[in-house]
Amino acid sequence: MLVYPQLTTGAVSQFPAQKRRKLRTVVNALGDGSSIKLADPPGELTEWQLQYAGLSDQEALALEQFFESVEGSLGVFTFLDPTANLFSWSGQLDHREWTKGPLLALTGNVPDPVGGMNGWNLSNSGAGVQSLSQTLEAPGGYVYCLSVYAKAFAAGLKITLLCGSARLDRTLETEWSRITFSGSGDAQAETIDFGIEVPPGGSLDLYGMQAEPQAGASTYRPSTTGGVYSNAWFRDDFLAVTATDVNRHSATVNINANRL
Amino acid sequence: MTWSATCEMAGIFPKLSTNAVAQYPATRKVLFRNQVLRFVDGAAQRYRDSIGPLRQWDIRLDQLDERELAAIEGFFAENQGRFGNFEFMDPWDGQVYPTCSFASDALGLVSVAEMNGRTSFTVRENRS
Repeated sequence: MLVYPQLTTGAVSQFPAQKRRKLRTVVNALGDGSSIKLADPPGELTEWQLQYAGLSDQEALALEQFFESVEGSLGVFTFLDPTANLFSWSGQLDHREWTKGPLLALTGNVPDPVGGMNGWNLSNSGAGVQSLSQTLEAPGGYVYCLSVYAKAFAAGLKITLLCGSARLDRTLETEWSRITFSGSGDAQAETIDFGIEVPPGGSLDLYGMQAEPQAGASTYRPSTTGGVYSNAWFRDDFLAVTATDVNRHSATVNINANRL
Repeated sequence: MTWSATCEMAGIFPKLSTNAVAQYPATRKVLFRNQVLRFVDGAAQRYRDSIGPLRQWDIRLDQLDERELAAIEGFFAENQGRFGNFEFMDPWDGQVYPTCSFASDALGLVSVAEMNGRTSFTVRENRS
């Protein structure tokens, strides 16, 4: 599995990062000014322009070596969108993308911490731990940050966040709080599971499940398609790395991807 | 290649956290489609080639947080670019135009810094 490298900070990109989504629609304009439109979903293309500054020798070398390993625009690789929530359907926890324990009841349209009704209630009526998780086709060795807003009905509820094989126990209060968990999975794995475990009899409200390819959490972004692109490629056949000082380099990388 | 020919209403145009849909500078255009036939003697005959004007809004958004940027990107994807129709409220006068769409199949999004993104796009009224 060829994967675009993270920086030593665990970030994939720096600011500013530009993203451009291109879709394809065939439009037949009629004489009366109206039009007939045909959508062509497979024609979608997403482009990123990542501008790096202050890269260390090690980071610049890793970028160059990766560029050489895919031979410029020839090879395809997995790219994790640094501006997206990696989860698919992050706001619809009963979607088939999510794997739910059989005794875990999900109820939507619950008040959320930002004043909407996009929260979810999770209730475990079973005698054992029940989990809600999503498996991403993303490298296990990456640094990730899992974040979620949660509150319990009864203070002291202990839940567990899952990030690959790493686990984090947290005790919830009755007020909304954002829990973040940074970690990695198995370095050799080509998929990684993220999720939450609810203890027997536990009931809590959740909002804003987000996984990001970086060490810290950013503002929650509701998602539908997710940010894992397994069919990405360099737009150009050249990569220019400029040494700006001792152990300081800059570069601009253009990456394209589709979901075919 | 998969073609989808159904063009249905796709969602509600997302508002910013301030409840606005546009920022300054914003441009609104009124588009007519008239034809002019010029004669050899210099005279001209003009006629309307449409039943009325259409409106178009150029919207430039700056200082957006990640949630606002994601909402616009998600709405663009949900509409499949310029394919889908949606209801758009004119930020000048609050009038609702029931059949509008994005004017382009491409949307650029720039993350300038944390909680600081920008984008721009054009919304066009369609002849229903």
